[in-house]
Amino acid sequence: MAIVKRKDTRIVDRDQRSRNRDFNGLVAQLSDSNPVARRWAARDLATYPEAVAVLTERLEKESDGTVREAILTSLILIGTPAAVEGLVRCLRSEDAALRNDAIEAMKSMPDEVTPVMTALLHDSDSDVRIFAVNILESLRHPDVEKWLIEVICEDAHVNVCATAVDILSEVGTEAAAGALEALKARFPGEPYIAFSVDLALKRIRAE
Amino acid sequence: MSKKRILVIDDAATVRMYHRSILEDAGYEVTEAMNGLEALEKTLATKEAFDLYLVDINMPKMDGYSFLRELRQQPIRQTPAIIVSTEEQSRDKVCAFEAGANFYLVKPIKPGDLLAYVRLLLARGGKA
Repeated sequence: MAIVKRKDTRIVDRDQRSRNRDFNGLVAQLSDSNPVARRWAARDLATYPEAVAVLTERLEKESDGTVREAILTSLILIGTPAAVEGLVRCLRSEDAALRNDAIEAMKSMPDEVTPVMTALLHDSDSDVRIFAVNILESLRHPDVEKWLIEVICEDAHVNVCATAVDILSEVGTEAAAGALEALKARFPGEPYIAFSVDLALKRIRAE
Repeated sequence: MSKKRILVIDDAATVRMYHRSILEDAGYEVTEAMNGLEALEKTLATKEAFDLYLVDINMPKMDGYSFLRELRQQPIRQTPAIIVSTEEQSRDKVCAFEAGANFYLVKPIKPGDLLAYVRLLLARGGKA
């Protein structure tokens, strides 16, 4: 099997040299039947900001993990508002793996994601709001705690608030204590909220 | 009689702790995994299969559906799995059952509800 694999790769490498590596050539190769060719095309399209639409479209149907990874890396490197928008579209996908890939990618581009954060935290879809809170976990932005406090004070959905409490237990300070106590009072019949708020307060006060 | 072993799979530490406290108080032995990949590794590394899996959907590295699809292909004793998710849409439930879940519960779960489903599945050997 390994010999066959090596042969396939050689064919692609030789083919790459003979193919056009300009934008149109790379876009064509992004639909190649060979995943190695698709991966190279995805990687090389990182230098073309206009490739966001075609990369996102490919990402939504790509089954090969290494190609997906290359596409996500290119979208992160491109880093334009359009690239962020493409990743936000993936948050709404029915493909759980794609949603998670988009979350992980967005965590690694704090400066680019920050402008859309408020909109994501107020999205009409509670799942998207949960993903937005997950992104905050490693966003390293000075407003992260403020955003999380707003979520637990304002969001009506228990799971959005529960996700925010999880993150606050890691990044929260005494500034979040009052909002955490108020959340427990807002959801008196939810044992999980009581459990997670108590845990978060214990961690905050231990620091 | 030995304790039933349950693998709790969730990327949120607080959720894992919450489920662990409920299940351990009820006499179960609990192991934790932070994502599907770690859960698969722990499953394959253990000589005795876990008696039940509690699986989140959205996790980095390997999501809950992918974990279940991989698990169901392994040549090991197949045991029940409960998806525990924040997602309430019917498409998510369909995906869960297609991937090999036996039950689908929406977070946050009350202790009594969790234990009722766990006991039911363990008693029926996975037949919901």
